[in-house]
Amino acid sequence: MKEPRALSSSRAPVGSGSARRPAFIALGRHEAILLCVVVLEVMFFTLAGRNFLTPDNLANLVRHSVEIGMLALVMLPVILTGGIDLSVGSLLGLCAVVFGKLWRDAGLPWELAAADTLVLGALAGGFNATLIAGLRLPPLIVTLGTYSLFRGLAEALTRGTDAFTGFPESFLFLGMGRWGGLPVQAWIFTGVAIVVAILVHRTTWGRSWRAIGFSPEGARHAGLPVAWRTASAYVLVGVVAALASLTWSARLGTAKADAGTGYELAAITAVVLGGTSIFGGVGSVAGTLLGVVAIAVLTNGLGRVPATLSLSGELSGLFTGVVLILALAGGAVARWWTELRAWRRNRG
Amino acid sequence: MNPGRMMRTGTPPESKAGAATRLSREWTVAGVLALLLAVMAFTAPGFFEPQPLLSRLTAAAPRLVVTCGIVLVMLCRQIDISVGSLFAVCAVTTGLMVSAHVPLPLAALASVLLGALGGAVNGLLVAGLRLPSIVVTLATMVTWREMLRLGQQGVFVNLPDGVQWFGLPMVRGQWVVCGAALAVLSGLALGLRFLSVGRFVYAVGSDAEAARLAGLHPRFTTFATFVVLGGLTGMAAVLNLVQSPQVDPASGRLLELEAIAAAVVGGVAVSGWRGSLWGVLAGFLLLTCISPALTYLGVKPYWDKAIQGGIILLAVIVDGFNRRKGNR
Repeated sequence: MKEPRALSSSRAPVGSGSARRPAFIALGRHEAILLCVVVLEVMFFTLAGRNFLTPDNLANLVRHSVEIGMLALVMLPVILTGGIDLSVGSLLGLCAVVFGKLWRDAGLPWELAAADTLVLGALAGGFNATLIAGLRLPPLIVTLGTYSLFRGLAEALTRGTDAFTGFPESFLFLGMGRWGGLPVQAWIFTGVAIVVAILVHRTTWGRSWRAIGFSPEGARHAGLPVAWRTASAYVLVGVVAALASLTWSARLGTAKADAGTGYELAAITAVVLGGTSIFGGVGSVAGTLLGVVAIAVLTNGLGRVPATLSLSGELSGLFTGVVLILALAGGAVARWWTELRAWRRNRG
Repeated sequence: MNPGRMMRTGTPPESKAGAATRLSREWTVAGVLALLLAVMAFTAPGFFEPQPLLSRLTAAAPRLVVTCGIVLVMLCRQIDISVGSLFAVCAVTTGLMVSAHVPLPLAALASVLLGALGGAVNGLLVAGLRLPSIVVTLATMVTWREMLRLGQQGVFVNLPDGVQWFGLPMVRGQWVVCGAALAVLSGLALGLRFLSVGRFVYAVGSDAEAARLAGLHPRFTTFATFVVLGGLTGMAAVLNLVQSPQVDPASGRLLELEAIAAAVVGGVAVSGWRGSLWGVLAGFLLLTCISPALTYLGVKPYWDKAIQGGIILLAVIVDGFNRRKGNR
């Protein structure tokens, strides 16, 4: 039987070339390069752009990137297990709509509606998890199905046009307010980042995600409850997608069915740019964060340079795509080189 | 029966029972489709009025062409999510050429070549550098789409007279479009089954290493499937272009998902080497007919997407249970 993996194409020789070297050194190199890219970006936009390095603009940058950032952070565990979740953007939309419906039509106080939304996120994540980990269906196809299903339900609930507005001040504070001088969602994002970092890097639970991605059979023989651990990654995605739907609605002051369209690809891009192997087993929270920051700075910065002001959306997308290809190709070439050296050493 | 069947049953990890369920899978989808059509015949005969039906099928024909291509790539255990963007790039380029008075056949050829070129980029990165296809095509998807937005700024391309329906009367033009899509499907289906290059695709998807040891060239085969998919995407763009007086630069969004969905419902496995184009045709027709059929039955159109998602999930769940039974 096939392992639960996004694509069961032959595994890239992730570990084979650098087998003699601890994995974190190779990772450190990738993160260092990415850090340089971010620093270069910041320097460039500070010099070429207008008002780039101002508190207001930085707050703006944070506000616009936390949702994708949070999704990228929880996409990491899923990709570490060798899976993928294409349904996060749609789930964000569904959660936003359900939150709006609970608050406006069912008359719940927003705190209770928000809590219910988080539960819904967990249930939706659990649905993905049941199919992927329980029935061992391919994650790519399952989440492609739920991608359509969740967005479709959101559209059906709103009859395609309905939008929820007029949320109370205390809720809008989540998306528009400041706390301790920083945008509120920066604190939420930091909380999610810390939880995911501890989970992935400091707990046996999180380490087992890596083990599953590296070798599902091996993890099973090592006595890990592979199905449960895999499932937990998808449930985590569901909960955080619901959380992101709340900050999204609070930031824009409206909840609609098209919330979060395209976020799944942005999140996956950030994770892969951060050096995570799409085949699973290799990746870090630091790399993912750098990937998120690199894209966020690029998008925001291009809107601050007079020459690219009107084209910032297109250009940042284009650069993201090209940089992603270059990062992948660069990684492949580096791997070849390492393998070539190892081969020469073995021969000589 | 034929070499295809032998090859599939002969591969170790699947048992004979598995082969039986695979065979029946295509018939299951065809059965569900027949059932749907039968229900429609009794409850809403208006569904079968020839002209609206032909128009619906014509509108879906470009998608069928892309689906055929994506099946090839999926049989090789790869995936391509950049076809939607490539489709838009080809459509706009062809539209600009036609409006600059380039004859339509020449522009169509250019569209196919441009598509093949885009496919070759994916193929080189995937087969040449051995990069994961999902990430490569994610990157090219974003890149093509943003290049197009940058170049075109969302401006529609107006087509000159005489391009719509290839300059034929509408009904005949619709038949030409549908016929072209069916010709592609039949050609590829027969080629996959009876030509040795077609068998290479299954062999590579089944076990690339074994295929290599048997003297095939798995990397070249993979590369070739991406190029063919690209070319077909270019062709689909032309088939779509002739249907309207304008080209929308935002066209082709979600095309990749619709194509993959049709392939999966038609019984193609993401794990490669399993599935036939006839099953895919049934799956494609099912997905194409379901929304208008439900509209006739009084289901509101905003349920469309949810139902499409439900069908994909149902198909893959049924597959999962079948596979489990087969393995026991």
